[in-house]
Amino acid sequence: MTATTMAAPALPASKSSDAVSGHTRDRALWGAIMLAPYVLVFAVMVVYPVGYGLWLGLNWNSYRALFADPIFIRTVINTIVFLFVAVNLKFAIALVLSGFFVAQRAWVRFVLVLFILPWAVPSIPTILSFRVMLNPENGMINQQLFHWFGIVEGPGWLTDPTLAFCMSIMVHIWKSLPFWTLILVTGRLAIAQDLYEAASVDGASKWQQFKFITWPSLATLYVTSTMLSMIWTLGDFNSVYLLTGGGPGDLNHVLSTLGIRYMRNNNLDLGIASIIIAMPLILPMVYFMVKRLSKGAE
Amino acid sequence: MKSVRCLVTGAAFAAIAAGWSGAAVAQETVTVWFTKGFYKGEDDALLAVVDKFQKATGVKVDLSLYATEDCVTKSVGAVEAGTPPDVGFCTTYDFRTTGKWAFDGKLEDVTDVITPIKAEFQPQALATTFLMNGKTKAKSYYAFPVEQQMMHITYWKDMLEEAGFKESDIPKGWDGYWDFWCDKVQGAMRAKGKRIYAVGHPMGIAASDTFYSFLTFANEFNAQIVDEDGKVVLDQPKNKAAMIEAVKAYANIFQRGCTPPSSVNWLDPDNNVAFHNRTTVMTHNATISIAGKHMDDMSNPALTEEQRATAKKNYEDNIRTAEFPTKPDGSKMTNLAAVKTAVIFADAKNKKRAKEFMAFLLKDENLQPFVDGSTGRWVPTTLKGIESPFWTSGKDPHRAVVYKQYKDGTIPFQFVYNYNFTTLNAENVWAKAVNRVVQDKIAPEVAVDEMIARIKQIAG
Repeated sequence: MTATTMAAPALPASKSSDAVSGHTRDRALWGAIMLAPYVLVFAVMVVYPVGYGLWLGLNWNSYRALFADPIFIRTVINTIVFLFVAVNLKFAIALVLSGFFVAQRAWVRFVLVLFILPWAVPSIPTILSFRVMLNPENGMINQQLFHWFGIVEGPGWLTDPTLAFCMSIMVHIWKSLPFWTLILVTGRLAIAQDLYEAASVDGASKWQQFKFITWPSLATLYVTSTMLSMIWTLGDFNSVYLLTGGGPGDLNHVLSTLGIRYMRNNNLDLGIASIIIAMPLILPMVYFMVKRLSKGAE
Repeated sequence: MKSVRCLVTGAAFAAIAAGWSGAAVAQETVTVWFTKGFYKGEDDALLAVVDKFQKATGVKVDLSLYATEDCVTKSVGAVEAGTPPDVGFCTTYDFRTTGKWAFDGKLEDVTDVITPIKAEFQPQALATTFLMNGKTKAKSYYAFPVEQQMMHITYWKDMLEEAGFKESDIPKGWDGYWDFWCDKVQGAMRAKGKRIYAVGHPMGIAASDTFYSFLTFANEFNAQIVDEDGKVVLDQPKNKAAMIEAVKAYANIFQRGCTPPSSVNWLDPDNNVAFHNRTTVMTHNATISIAGKHMDDMSNPALTEEQRATAKKNYEDNIRTAEFPTKPDGSKMTNLAAVKTAVIFADAKNKKRAKEFMAFLLKDENLQPFVDGSTGRWVPTTLKGIESPFWTSGKDPHRAVVYKQYKDGTIPFQFVYNYNFTTLNAENVWAKAVNRVVQDKIAPEVAVDEMIARIKQIAG
């Protein structure tokens, strides 16, 4: 005797459930079709280049060579100092200036337009014009010092390592300050004026108004902007390279310019390694920024 | 009927076109990459050689001319990708790639081309193409010595006179020479209220002029860096002491304010620019390109007649090319020569024709017009070429000095013996040591210790 198992006859699907599952399938299909270009672009423009870069950077000998290069440690220190000074100074100034530009007067708005110009114009000509201006022999500043005060050897703006480093930071701040000031101006404008009026009636001083109204309202924007600025500052190639080329004497490189220095010397592996080495600095910042933004969204 | 006629006519045209394209495909091609000439004469001479070669062999030469930096960058990329041209000649190959390519087995052994014409070349120039192959562990000819350059002093005679001196006042000895320019000439100019510097002294890390000038100083102090087997000997006490003196001397010109402060950031053209702008009275430069610029301007139709006349006056009277002073020990200096090398790549598609092309180019009647087309910027590597009236007649004041320097003898760069020195030159360990002294104010002895450590790290 053979046991036979009879399959239970399938229940005829109701018309409405068929329609629902068909509708869901269609939605999923359309979703996939609509998503495909984005996935493709993301894969081609982000995943592949970053993955290829990481793959190129998998040569451990490059990292050994990088650490053996005496210039590398100096570059790391320069990068950290550059990051710390440039970002903090820039935001401190931006915070103060945003208080000035928030005033709704016609002439202030006109000054704001002028103030935005350094950010709006392309980096290469403007930074190169600084380079020309700061040239110790023929630059406008030292020429004027010679002309007016008879100073033959003016300051070595780009030839003294410390001064040259300060100039790089100065140019970086000059270039990016308008943008961040504008962001903080926008943040200030979003604060309800009633709060200030009420505080004023209560006899709060300007400092107290700033401390108890402005700063708490701006803090999130300030910290998020600072993080974003840190990522951009870390990757700022133009301010250092166009102004000093990492000089004098390769003493003022930051990580972003050191990579190019290696690549110019046909040393692609070290160039890649010197850029990938910045990842431990960038990734936590990206993580914290995304976390903050997610909090904001909630 | 009409449509049939159309069809037949179309088929006939298609057959003819196919025949032509077939013929085009069948024509052999040799791919050649060269650095674009500084002067039109160089390119014209090269195009003439290409034309002659094509007519003589029926082989098409696919010639590409690139700017100096592009040439080497494209070549490096192509070699890495395994798709190099058949022949490559970039004027910075010798500084940056030839030795390494030979060592890595990326170059074709060209002994069979060199051997029959060996006697026609200057032995010291030819020796720079006899390179080590790390794979075969043997030396062989892996490149062709096309032309070469040396280091020269260039000064404004009229500025010297303005400072109150004659050419005969310039001392010949080492210390007196630099004191003369730094103290007397600059001092006199400053006394006249002029903000002029005596010496254009390349100090920039990214300039090949800097390592060429510095190594000339090291040569003056007899600092031997490697031996002929490529072994680093700089750490030997005698050589180390000589190198410390060289670093001191090189840094000293900056420290005494004798060169424009911006020279620490100079790139290759900057000492030329400072000289042309009369910011400096003299400079040292590899090739006579500074004077050559004025010679070029003499016949430049884009300039006014007055500008051309000024250029002529500058070239013939105002600008002087001179030799370096004697060594600190009083002996005559032997010049450091950089021989510009052409190569055939191991991965080339048409090595046979590439060798034929190079053999053709190296024939005296072809090579000489090409080299001389640079109007003295490049110096011949053949015995016949350097003895031609172009160099020996003495009619040209600048070339006459170059010829004399050549006759004083030449020596090669360290990278000929140990290819790792191309990396050290690119990194410019020499300029770094000098900059450590002048910028970080460390003792020259410490800077040289750092330099030796780095050299040993890279070059063994």
